Amino acid sequence: MNSHFFARRVHSLTGIIPVGLFLVYHLYTQLYLHQGAEKYNEHTNAFYESPLAIWLLIIFVYIPLFYHSILGAKLSIEATPQPSYHYFSHLLYWLQRISGIGVLLFIFAHLYNTKVMPLMTDTYGQHFEHLAEGFASAETGWLTKSVYLLGILGATFHFANGINTFCMTWGLALTPRAQLRVRVLSIIVFVLLTAVALYSLSAIW
Amino acid sequence: MSNKTITFKILRQDGPNQPSYWETFVIPYLPNSNVISCLMDIQKNPINSEGKKVRPVVWECNCLEEVCGTCTMVINGKTRQSCSALIDKLMQPITLQPLSKFPVVRDLAVDRSRMFEALKRVKAWVPMDGYHDLGPGDKILPDHQGVAYKLSECMTCGCCVEACPQYSRDNNFLGAAAISQARLFNMHPTGKLIANERLDSLMDDGGIAACGNAQNCVEVCPKSIPLTESIAEMGRQSSKRFWKTLFQI
Repeated sequence: MNSHFFARRVHSLTGIIPVGLFLVYHLYTQLYLHQGAEKYNEHTNAFYESPLAIWLLIIFVYIPLFYHSILGAKLSIEATPQPSYHYFSHLLYWLQRISGIGVLLFIFAHLYNTKVMPLMTDTYGQHFEHLAEGFASAETGWLTKSVYLLGILGATFHFANGINTFCMTWGLALTPRAQLRVRVLSIIVFVLLTAVALYSLSAIW
Repeated sequence: MSNKTITFKILRQDGPNQPSYWETFVIPYLPNSNVISCLMDIQKNPINSEGKKVRPVVWECNCLEEVCGTCTMVINGKTRQSCSALIDKLMQPITLQPLSKFPVVRDLAVDRSRMFEALKRVKAWVPMDGYHDLGPGDKILPDHQGVAYKLSECMTCGCCVEACPQYSRDNNFLGAAAISQARLFNMHPTGKLIANERLDSLMDDGGIAACGNAQNCVEVCPKSIPLTESIAEMGRQSSKRFWKTLFQI
């Protein structure tokens, strides 16, 4: 085993555990949007009250996410386009790379919107208000909404399709039939997570 | 005889590292011809569409029945064997290009030694330590044989790596064919003896980890070899070895 193999396996693993699991948890907590500003802010701020919160985030989210993104972006750039082969899996291959880079850009915008900007204006903690105001803005509301919609679709797709490639990489799904079953599972995950995310957003749309 | 014609656009190259250029040939139509029979016609009378006599087009072929893989080229944008590419089923003008993942020797002939090197890297053979009588080999059951036979049909034609977005001229990826051959010899009762050596090669630079799951290989394989199954199987074997070595160091 050499470092390249190790790096790729860690890349594959970090996509599901912990980054993928964080995505599921993160989308779940957004359901609180339906319970109003007070409940949503209370729930979100409760997490940061733990003295371990920032370390949990750094170790289980920021570092794995950073690693997964950097290596993923490098691999995406190195791929050789094969435009004359129109197969479904090949399309997913490119969507996985495009969505990965798109989601990375979205995360930066998302972090600016929910962390950097509130900290600069000294209004950190009013999470619901920031999101709702961003969406309701007369000038830039459409842009914020589009960015969030694309970001969410990209993230749920990247994670769901990632389950598929994860099972292939680690040899969990061997036969074409098993691979088909995993593909069906990943479609269900995609639809379910997207539905949850869109339902949450409908509270402030 | 009808006055129908067949038009070819061929990407030519006079020698290794020379610039490539397109040349058009128009030849009389013959029913039931394939790309190779047309290339033979061009060879007999190498006159391009401008009426100029040119150097005959170079290509490779051998078996003419899609079992040797030698005549693989890119026909109308897709990699396949030219012997089984029937003119009546192709859109005209028919474009012929050499495989893009290998160095061109001349015109449509490429040097595929990288594929042979890949087979050597994964030790795609059954190890023998001499010619003395080793006694009868292990029994092979029909279900094992059914899987192995399909894998053994690989002719190292290069279709899988040609269509692969992860296999490029400037990397050292083994490609689907070699990974599948490693699976074949790892399941052979005697080949199994050096299974871990094969896995170590697969877990080295440009090994199985370089696969990006585009799955074009299995779609374009002319022998319908279950290449993605082979990649998943070798992924599983290397996963086991990965966890084992991780806790041995």
